[in-house]
Amino acid sequence: MRELQAIRQKAADAVNCQSVTLPSGLTVLCRTMPGYSSVHAMYATNFGSVVREFTLNGRRISLPAGTAHFLEHKMFESEQGDAFDLYARTGASANAFTGYDRTCYIFTSTRKTDENLNILLNMVGHPWFTEATIAKEQGIIGQEIKMYDDSPDWRLLNALFRCLYRAHPIRDDIAGTTQSIARLTPELLYACTDAFYRPGNMVLSVAGNITLDQAVEACRRNGLHDAAPQPEVAIHFPEETGELPSREATLTMPVNKPCFALGYREQPIAPGDIRSEILADLLPDLVCGGLTGLYRQLYDAALVNPEFSGDSLSADGCCVIAFTGESEEPRKVAAMVRQEIARLRRDGVDPELFTLVKNQMYGELLADMECVDDAAEEIGMAFLKGRTLAQEIETLAALTVEDANAAFQTMLLDDNCAYVQINPQE
Amino acid sequence: MERKKVAPGVYLTTLDAEKFNRCRITIHLRFPARRESATDAAVLPLVLERGYAGCPDMTALSRKLARLYGADLGVDLGNAGVDRVLTVDICGIKDRFALADENLTGEYAAIAFGIVFEPYLVDGLFDPEAVRIEKEALALRLDAEFNNKRLYCVRQARRKFYGSSPAGIELGGYKSDLPSVTPATLKAEYDRILALSSIDVMVQGADAARVEDLLLRKLENVTRSPRPFAPAMAMPVTDPRHYTEAIPGLTQAKLCMLFTRGTTEDLPSITVLRMAMGLFGGTTTSRLFRNVREKQSLCYYCGASALRATGVMMVDSGVEPGGEARAEEAILRELNDLCTKPITGDEMEDCRRSLLSSLDSLSDSLGGLESWYYGQIVRDEALAPPEYGKVLTQAVTADEVREVLQSYHYSVCYALTAKEEGGQA
Repeated sequence: MRELQAIRQKAADAVNCQSVTLPSGLTVLCRTMPGYSSVHAMYATNFGSVVREFTLNGRRISLPAGTAHFLEHKMFESEQGDAFDLYARTGASANAFTGYDRTCYIFTSTRKTDENLNILLNMVGHPWFTEATIAKEQGIIGQEIKMYDDSPDWRLLNALFRCLYRAHPIRDDIAGTTQSIARLTPELLYACTDAFYRPGNMVLSVAGNITLDQAVEACRRNGLHDAAPQPEVAIHFPEETGELPSREATLTMPVNKPCFALGYREQPIAPGDIRSEILADLLPDLVCGGLTGLYRQLYDAALVNPEFSGDSLSADGCCVIAFTGESEEPRKVAAMVRQEIARLRRDGVDPELFTLVKNQMYGELLADMECVDDAAEEIGMAFLKGRTLAQEIETLAALTVEDANAAFQTMLLDDNCAYVQINPQE
Repeated sequence: MERKKVAPGVYLTTLDAEKFNRCRITIHLRFPARRESATDAAVLPLVLERGYAGCPDMTALSRKLARLYGADLGVDLGNAGVDRVLTVDICGIKDRFALADENLTGEYAAIAFGIVFEPYLVDGLFDPEAVRIEKEALALRLDAEFNNKRLYCVRQARRKFYGSSPAGIELGGYKSDLPSVTPATLKAEYDRILALSSIDVMVQGADAARVEDLLLRKLENVTRSPRPFAPAMAMPVTDPRHYTEAIPGLTQAKLCMLFTRGTTEDLPSITVLRMAMGLFGGTTTSRLFRNVREKQSLCYYCGASALRATGVMMVDSGVEPGGEARAEEAILRELNDLCTKPITGDEMEDCRRSLLSSLDSLSDSLGGLESWYYGQIVRDEALAPPEYGKVLTQAVTADEVREVLQSYHYSVCYALTAKEEGGQA
């Protein structure tokens, strides 16, 4: 109990962050970091590649694969010009990224914070799409899609998701295909911004040499403070039950060694269910993380390289735990991972290993909090997942080895498992 | 910041880290590269990272680091011009965040110095089992290069560019040399590094006096004759050489273009070089980004970078298969325009602001500050804070940028393409 109390205090000190929800519904999070010169800001929406069907004010809308990512690219363009040009005037470095369940717009700067916030909030708040600008972007994104097509890691995961899910949009690449993005129109893109780029669906998180008042004032200047009529929006995800669509897939690519993925379809994690999410993160580390006997066995026998790892991925309506790597004997590695999961299910987790893995996670959280970019993004991402970082640390501290043992009884089950292999091209 | 010489060729630099949650200790050993022991040098960090005399077992060391709240230990080999740098760094949370009031920083120092000065040896040589395992691991890594086509293209271009010159010695070693790496050859390379290297210990947020004391004690048992840094070099100017490698199944072609200064005379200042790269292809307002990517849609990525000590400038890009020649032509045109036509004031200021912002933010990360100061050490410059870099950046003129860019000569173009036909042009 005393330990938990101490952890709570240290967690609060280490990850402190102010927050306010404006009348518009926009949440603003701020971690002021004394002594820092830079500011990192992230303006993010809960709209990612897996949102493909939604209803907006009673109208059902279907999106082609790659819409969220396409929108991300287009947001940098306005009638006045390119947002990169505006950032260049302030010296800020800007970027954006799209995930399965979010799209994030970021900048880092050391000066002209107010101007940079204006650029960020204005470019995302005032979308501008025409047939001509869409056509131009299709060329650039086509190149990006091709770049990822050459990445074995990316191809492996996509093939794995296709084995694990019959209908969920995680089956499709985040960027879509050249054919799918060719179907995009200004009307479709505007429907997305109306539905998902409204303040109530977004978060502005900032960290570094900035105050909460400064961030809120920026929202006020950019018309994001006051209450406004909200559209009615409902997202529709296909329900995934029953057998996996496929237990195995094989691809060929120009690679030197076979690459493999062993993946498990898990129950989707509800927003705010921190405990389940942390357990999903912990389990792969307990099976074959760097502290385990299995990792050592595989590494010493040169069956895997140091990049071999297990990770979890959770998005709306889906959750996957995947073990990926390169090996001359991929099936042997996959079999050994499955045996280890069965052993842990039967014999339980070594309590010392469990504590060490928890320690590592705690250290990683603290490490994230000392960089302005990681700090702003972590607090924002946690919000989008329906929690705070302090809650994450508290939940982590409260987890016991019995919780992990219980999780092994319901997760990483053989019935929900698929295997993908990429073979070198002849 | 304070830097002091604690022994011949051994320096201790202390950097302020008050505002950070973590502290960091880094030990750099800079030594001359050698073709004949390049593969030993590449295997060595892998073996060292497995453990040291005080904690010989790899899994036990991983668990020790986890007990220290997931402290990060890195043992890496890098380049400094023609020289190599073996770096051991450890980074972990400060004592005040320890949940049971442990002395974490003392442990960090013991691990880092243990790795460098007290490797785990069996009968005076490296553990044969560890050497066997890490040779296999290195073989896997060398093979994996081909899987990342962008990296593979850049490395192939570098191989053609440097040929058999000292700068072309492979950082990752040679697969063909792996069979001859033994516990004895590895120990010989380790001894050579310890004897010849210039050692720089950087301390951020840990007790520098204790680190110095530990360092001096470790050095007591080492025979040393540190060598001066290798001088700068440059490959000679030649006619451009084109190479094409066809990889069936590739969906995006890769292009890597290398340029040489051809001389080590009048090395450009690092500040002017950064501005030149920023204007040419290092920022989102650069000519390559704006014109070749955005306006002409010829590639998805297209960036420029340069290494001062080896006189090389590189442009690498990912292009539509079949569009390699057009992309190459467009890149050369942008370079020529920068060399011969006006550079606008707006371009200069956009780039300058971006660099100034980067310099401002250096002090916001342990790694950023450490790199800034060690970069100056590598260039044999007097140490100055990032603020001094800002003053220099403010003073760079368009003429200086143009002069630097004009000093490069096109040398090698390496293309990976999906097309079946190909071969050396």
